[in-house]
Amino acid sequence: MRWRPGGRVRFFAALVLSGFLLAQSMAARAADAPDIPIGAVFPLTGNGSEVGLDAKAALETEAEIINTPHPPIPMLLGAGGGLPHLGGAKVRLIFADSQNDPQKARAEAERLITQEHVVAIIGSYTSATAATISQVADRYEIPYISSDNSSPSLSARGLKWFFRTSPHDVMFTQAMFDFFDWIGKKTGRPPKSLALIYEDSIFGADSSRVQKEMAAAAHLPIVADIRYRANSPSLSAEAERLRAAHADVLMPSSYTNDAILLMRAMHELGYQPPAIMAQDAGFVQKAFLDAVGPLAEGVMSRSAFALDAVAARPAIPAVNQRYRARSGKDLNDLTGRELTALQVLADAIDRAGSTDHEKLRAALRATDIDGKQTIMPWQGVRFDETGQNVEATPVIQQVIGGAYVTVFPPEVATHAPLWHVGE
Amino acid sequence: MSHPHALPAPSLLLAHRRRGLALAGFFLLLLLGGAGVSDPYTANLLIIALLFAGLAQSWNLLGGFCGQISLGHALYFGLGAYLTTLARLDHIPTLAALPAAALVGGAAAVLIGLPVFRLTGHHYAIATLVIAEAVYLLFLNWDWVGAASGLFVSYQGESWLDLSFRTSKFPYLLAMLLYAGGITALAWALSAARLGYDWRAVRDDPAAAASLGVGVHQVKLLAALLSGAGTALGGGLYAAYVNYVDPDSVMASRLSIEIALPAVMGGVGTLWGPLIGAAVEVPVSEFSRSYMGGSGQGFDLMVYGGLIMAIALFRPEGLASLLAGLRRRGRTA
Repeated sequence: MRWRPGGRVRFFAALVLSGFLLAQSMAARAADAPDIPIGAVFPLTGNGSEVGLDAKAALETEAEIINTPHPPIPMLLGAGGGLPHLGGAKVRLIFADSQNDPQKARAEAERLITQEHVVAIIGSYTSATAATISQVADRYEIPYISSDNSSPSLSARGLKWFFRTSPHDVMFTQAMFDFFDWIGKKTGRPPKSLALIYEDSIFGADSSRVQKEMAAAAHLPIVADIRYRANSPSLSAEAERLRAAHADVLMPSSYTNDAILLMRAMHELGYQPPAIMAQDAGFVQKAFLDAVGPLAEGVMSRSAFALDAVAARPAIPAVNQRYRARSGKDLNDLTGRELTALQVLADAIDRAGSTDHEKLRAALRATDIDGKQTIMPWQGVRFDETGQNVEATPVIQQVIGGAYVTVFPPEVATHAPLWHVGE
Repeated sequence: MSHPHALPAPSLLLAHRRRGLALAGFFLLLLLGGAGVSDPYTANLLIIALLFAGLAQSWNLLGGFCGQISLGHALYFGLGAYLTTLARLDHIPTLAALPAAALVGGAAAVLIGLPVFRLTGHHYAIATLVIAEAVYLLFLNWDWVGAASGLFVSYQGESWLDLSFRTSKFPYLLAMLLYAGGITALAWALSAARLGYDWRAVRDDPAAAASLGVGVHQVKLLAALLSGAGTALGGGLYAAYVNYVDPDSVMASRLSIEIALPAVMGGVGTLWGPLIGAAVEVPVSEFSRSYMGGSGQGFDLMVYGGLIMAIALFRPEGLASLLAGLRRRGRTA
């Protein structure tokens, strides 16, 4: 087919006209409801950037769900088309790179507040960067939404503008002991002794300290308390000590390499603990499951997110599909929390009906979201006076049939737990 | 034959005075310009640039004038930052804690220098790197100083005594200006004093310096004392400004490089070098992160790395040599 000259002119005229009209209508809509700028500070380059880039994809997924028209997703703000109480206003994310450095995170937070005029900031993966971002936010009286910082001390500093949707480390360990209590009552075979093994890092030290406190409170004796050098060439001696102690539940806090090494070392001794309850980290990595194969069967871990809980949280498949399209990955413990932080913030802005900071803080304080309205397996979202979400109840997951499935709490569980203690 | 400690010739003295006037004019201009900055982002940029100018000038006393390359200055910075933070947590005024921080930093540098200055060349650089790393690991595991979680100072209201201000940046700008200006003034004064000549003699040829009666070990220790104290003072000011310290942000080996880098880029052993280096390096690093880092594609680091490589290739003697080149050209023309 050949273009006629007149046709070409007409075609371009039409193109210019339609472009003009489109711009007009967009400008008109923008004037109706201005975008709402929201800051997000994560490590986007350097150390930790992989997590930061995943967070960026998760937040963009949620912004797309809130802003664009699409078939409704069964969750809060899942209908699309902007914020209803603000005339369909759209949330606009402005990302800043902390490079995982507290000073740079501080400077970026200040820039977002003073130059980009964001109404709130979401962040930030590491607790060190959260310490400085939340401080700047507090001074400028702008809410800081902690989506994934797990250090309990962050919410104990008396900050008035700090809100944490995520559970913190104490809540994670509490879930393990809640599970022990529940399974003991359910089966009549409660655990009678624990063994702890943890690496000699801040992660291992914090994890084991809380576990010891809670074991003492639950009157559960710790029969082995083993601290080891992270990334050791061998954990055979440690495995031998664990076998000798023969506890009902082994509670490891280790990253991937050590988790693999520990499972293999125990297997070589022909020792299998009746139950293993891991503090996330190495035990939930795909590399761990691939490396130890059938040895991982029955291993339990805590998690803030349950990808398999689709019956209790029907929004998961649609949200996960959108996230997959952006990042090529499934939602996980971190990205699920980050995505939900934006949902909670957008809901508060919508209820406030305004971007005024005091109204927004009042709306955040009044937040009361049923867990079913999110993709998280939590009871819900409700902040106490320190800004901590007290209903962010973690789940216990167990490797059954080669993959993690949710076994506790029963409201969101997809499987009955395998429990060999006391048999 | 002239004695090595004789007074410099009148023309040299004149040049020294001219340099001093130019430096004083530069800091005065910064003060006037800084007073007019109302945007917190620009103010923050100036504060960080001045902090690194002061740190690099401190490093320059030992690494530039005296020729003892240290790759462990993060240690003194960290000690100053931690000491100031611990004092603030005990409600000791920050302005009282800063001199103590400088003292501790200077003492630490002397303690390390006592045995390690017996080593020469690269051995000293490697020893400082290793010692700083060991102390970093110690702090990472030491609960009393917050271990890896670090220490946080919460806001207690505005106070000059505590260098604590809600959102105002000018007081910090003033403090950093005094800091960078003070260290530069010290370097300027010493550069024409006997100690400055001794340092350069030790740098150029320790054996020859010793044969002329220079106490090589003592003058190295004096350089370490002043350099360590200046760096720790900078660490204390950083702690007052950021209100959060952890081993990764105030003691990691990366920081040792960041302290030396402006001096190396600007010109080692020159008065202007650390100032020019910080004036170029900090804004490039900050702007590239703020306006390119958000994409998450690492452009900012590429630009930053590219600039450092370009300077290393085309101006290995540092950016300050451009100034000298211009001045020479002006004189011959």
